[in-house]
Amino acid sequence: MNRDHDAYETLASVYALGALDGDDLAEFEAHLARGCERCAATLSASEETIARLAAEGPRRTPPPEVRRALLQRLEATAPRRERAAGRSLWLPWMLGMAAAVIAAIWVTGGFIAARYEARLDRMTREAAEARERLRQEQDGLRAELQRYAGVIELLRDPATRVVTLRGAGAAPEAGARLVWNETRGGQLFVTNLPPAPEGKAYELWTITGGRPRAAGVFQTDASGKGTHAVEAAPGGKPVEVFAVTVEPAAGASSPTGPIVLASAK
Amino acid sequence: MDPGADLIRRMAAGDRQAFAPFYDRFAPLVYPLVLRIVRDRQDAADVLQDVFWEVWQGAHTYDPARGSPEAWIVMRARSRAIDRVRAVRRRSETFVAPLDDSVAQAPAGGGADAASLAADRETALARLPEPQREVIELAYAAGLTQTEIAERLKQPLGTVKSRIRLGLERLREAFGGAP
Ligand SMILES: [Zn+2]
Repeated sequence: MNRDHDAYETLASVYALGALDGDDLAEFEAHLARGCERCAATLSASEETIARLAAEGPRRTPPPEVRRALLQRLEATAPRRERAAGRSLWLPWMLGMAAAVIAAIWVTGGFIAARYEARLDRMTREAAEARERLRQEQDGLRAELQRYAGVIELLRDPATRVVTLRGAGAAPEAGARLVWNETRGGQLFVTNLPPAPEGKAYELWTITGGRPRAAGVFQTDASGKGTHAVEAAPGGKPVEVFAVTVEPAAGASSPTGPIVLASAK
Repeated sequence: MDPGADLIRRMAAGDRQAFAPFYDRFAPLVYPLVLRIVRDRQDAADVLQDVFWEVWQGAHTYDPARGSPEAWIVMRARSRAIDRVRAVRRRSETFVAPLDDSVAQAPAGGGADAASLAADRETALARLPEPQREVIELAYAAGLTQTEIAERLKQPLGTVKSRIRLGLERLREAFGGAP
């Protein structure tokens, strides 16, 4: 087709072995899909060679379960015509893909069908994974939204105050704001606090009359951000100091580790 | 008519009786290929089942004018096996390393296929010049891509590609030219 056509025939050999990747793969498939007879012939010859390679290799009877499973499956199959009707259950986009596959088979011949079918299968799988990932992201966003809605609600209450916590000890860069309501609890927002060491977590303490009370453990992400919902202290006594220490991941009942964040008294 | 092609034609017409003889004829041929690529008996059994089920469902796509039944089934089986092993490698993010010992060594379990392809001096593959035999084995038996082969052998990609082509051309001659 042009003076570089020889390069395509090289790609055809690599393609037949399933070893083509990257741009070469896309380029060759596009070339083949335009209906190049010479490459189709090279591909076909390479495939016959590979089949001969297989034929001179060892024979080995597969595990008998495979045969049994296939024959059972066959037994359970309705005659072919009914099976064709079942395909209408495919999602519309799958139909689009199937049309592309059919077009590919029609243009270039049946021999690349297997590869397209395999890819179709993979795309279906990847689409399912992507849906799952989106669902998880959506759940995460919804939870975050609820948290913010809760904070806004809290801020409407005149009794709510915003407490600033400053970094201390090993985390001088760290900082936090706590939206706090003595009777309703609050929400802690932490920044610049590196993730706790393996097996450890950060624990928040509310200190009243010099006595610390555990107010839950939390983690921060790789960017040093974290947030933590805090329940109101029972008894309703005003909290004097908020502090965060490094503790075992399950939390401690009284502070044992170094203080990384504390509010001014 | 080629007996394999005849079985495929019958399957395409919905003849379920043709399936078992087709399986018995071709499964022992493709099973070692699949096992060698995926290197796990359970995975190989899964792939084999998928391949033969697809063959039953897609028998009508076989065109005897375009190639032999052997090539048809071998290409399908290799393509599925390669997909499987690459998906596993993508997931585990261990790219070339797990396959490092796959070429010289037999697939898990040993047995009749334990002899390395290269060790058998009688095969056409074994008689290829070393640089060509090496790249063909890495692609054919281990299922590596051209890029992976180039990285492994520390050779330019272009060299790997042309060695593959040259190797396949020589094999084709050794097998007696055009099919
Ligand atoms: Zn071409």
